[in-house]
Amino acid sequence: MATDHKLLSAEGIEVELGGKQILRGAALELERGELVAIVGPNGAGKSTLVRAVAGIQALSAGRVCWSGRSLSGIRGRELSRLRAFVPQRMPVPAGIDVREAVTIGRSSHLRMLGRLTGADREAVDDSIARAGVGRFAERELTTLSGGELQRVQIAIGLAQEAPVLIADEPTSQLDLGATIGVAGLLRKLVTEHGLAVLLVVHDLALAMAIADRVVVVADGQTVASGEPEAVLTPERLAAVWGADARLTEHDGRTALHVAWLDTAIAVRAP
Amino acid sequence: MTRRTLVLAGLITALVLATLASLALGAVKVPVSEVIDILLGKGHGGPNQQIIESLRLPRTVEALIVGAALGIAGAILQGALANPLASPDVIGVTAGSGFGAILIIILFPGSIALLPVGALSFGLLAATLVFVFAWSGRNKGSVGKVVLAGIGMLSLFTAATTGLLAAYPDRAPSAIFFIAGGLTSSGWEEMQTIWPYFAVGFIVALALIRPLDRLALGDDVAASLGSRPQLIRLGAGIAAALLAAASAAIAGLLGFLGLVVPHVVRMAGGSSSHTYVVPASAIGGAALLAAGDTLARTLRAPIEMPVGPFMVVLGVPLFLWLLRKAV
Repeated sequence: MATDHKLLSAEGIEVELGGKQILRGAALELERGELVAIVGPNGAGKSTLVRAVAGIQALSAGRVCWSGRSLSGIRGRELSRLRAFVPQRMPVPAGIDVREAVTIGRSSHLRMLGRLTGADREAVDDSIARAGVGRFAERELTTLSGGELQRVQIAIGLAQEAPVLIADEPTSQLDLGATIGVAGLLRKLVTEHGLAVLLVVHDLALAMAIADRVVVVADGQTVASGEPEAVLTPERLAAVWGADARLTEHDGRTALHVAWLDTAIAVRAP
Repeated sequence: MTRRTLVLAGLITALVLATLASLALGAVKVPVSEVIDILLGKGHGGPNQQIIESLRLPRTVEALIVGAALGIAGAILQGALANPLASPDVIGVTAGSGFGAILIIILFPGSIALLPVGALSFGLLAATLVFVFAWSGRNKGSVGKVVLAGIGMLSLFTAATTGLLAAYPDRAPSAIFFIAGGLTSSGWEEMQTIWPYFAVGFIVALALIRPLDRLALGDDVAASLGSRPQLIRLGAGIAAALLAAASAAIAGLLGFLGLVVPHVVRMAGGSSSHTYVVPASAIGGAALLAAGDTLARTLRAPIEMPVGPFMVVLGVPLFLWLLRKAV
């Protein structure tokens, strides 16, 4: 399906929260089948930016278009089929098992009191399989580990059958093994299933390893966008994070080398 | 799945038994076979038919509707506020209704027919004030604001009620029955004015079942699915207020039912999915109130006792037994 419009294009995004300006003219684009990592210091506005383009956070100025259509005219179930938003950590209610939770993720496809059709059940099964949660699909959410729960959240998002998955710091509370699992899952969803993914992430080595493109957010603005190697230069790490650090890649392994105890740059940073 | 089906089957059985008992038992005992004949329109006239049609049937129907309404009100409020302590008490409805009714009983004893209207209108007034305060200013519609505004309103109306009772101690005894909560054998008259409020409350609650399931996974997941979390909470609050105020107008203050029944069905069924909890709470609430009312008017017949205390006696042991096994 050829179209001139980008899947997502947002510009001049401004957001005010409780009288404080969080975003001041941020921009973001996303193409089909692309994994974009959004990185930046704490409080820079990364999460607010993805929430704004997802239609979860109201804008005070700016324009968000999904496939050329203005976000402001899109509501309800139509919005749910454009993008799925996977929060950092959802509440874990008692008495709900994994399959039920994923089925809730399917609910925007149903009429108000309509029942699940065969196609809906298939979509739920498919989401469970793709997110790799089939092994514990009948277990209650309260019994899952952090990594398992994060995969379930992704499965809930997949059940929406939207072409875009937006994940807000999905790995920030996970151990190394679980982080690798979630990172691999997100990459696979893009490479094998053709999804586009917006990933908010702190781990720069992880971003470099799996992202097609990196967008750097600092002080409420998007200050750089491009291939990881081109964007995450030592100069930018120093300017944005105040770190004496550099990223390296060798044999598909990425590493962030940091001068942990050199405070000279940190003192200069904003 | 099986456990839920089992609980639902048990609740439906209890509902049928309680309904039959409520129709058959009383000062005059009518055989169940005759009750069924009368319900099916195959009665032979006579006093039994008259007792059932004009006295017991309206009362039983009221018990079923009020029980279902309070069960649902508690279920959707606990879901919407993600708080196990939520019930129509918490959003101030019960206290408002209590004040409205006591106002009529104490100040206008000659116009006692206005009691349901007083209970309904003050219950809804209290809920409206809670929503206005909770939805203004920053962080509008947050759980904390709704609960705190509700507790404020609860205190206000409880104080006003106590003040009234203290100012007219000679008239206070006539208010006891309403405060304790109980049904009367006054035919269809009350229901004729109150039923639209029940109807709207039931319909809104039904429409909220799926949105409440989304909300259980958090505001962000609900928003991802295209719902507006604040709107779901507001809708649940309005439906619960309608159901609870209408219930108070018919049967006085039975707050316990709305708090406990949803917990009992969650613990018994091992599920908190609203597609199960809302209907199960409706059936369970209806069965409990019909059974409690039958006990209240037969144990020391012909003296009728308020159903509220009886329901507590019936419900609390079950509740505590289930609580023992819950986390």
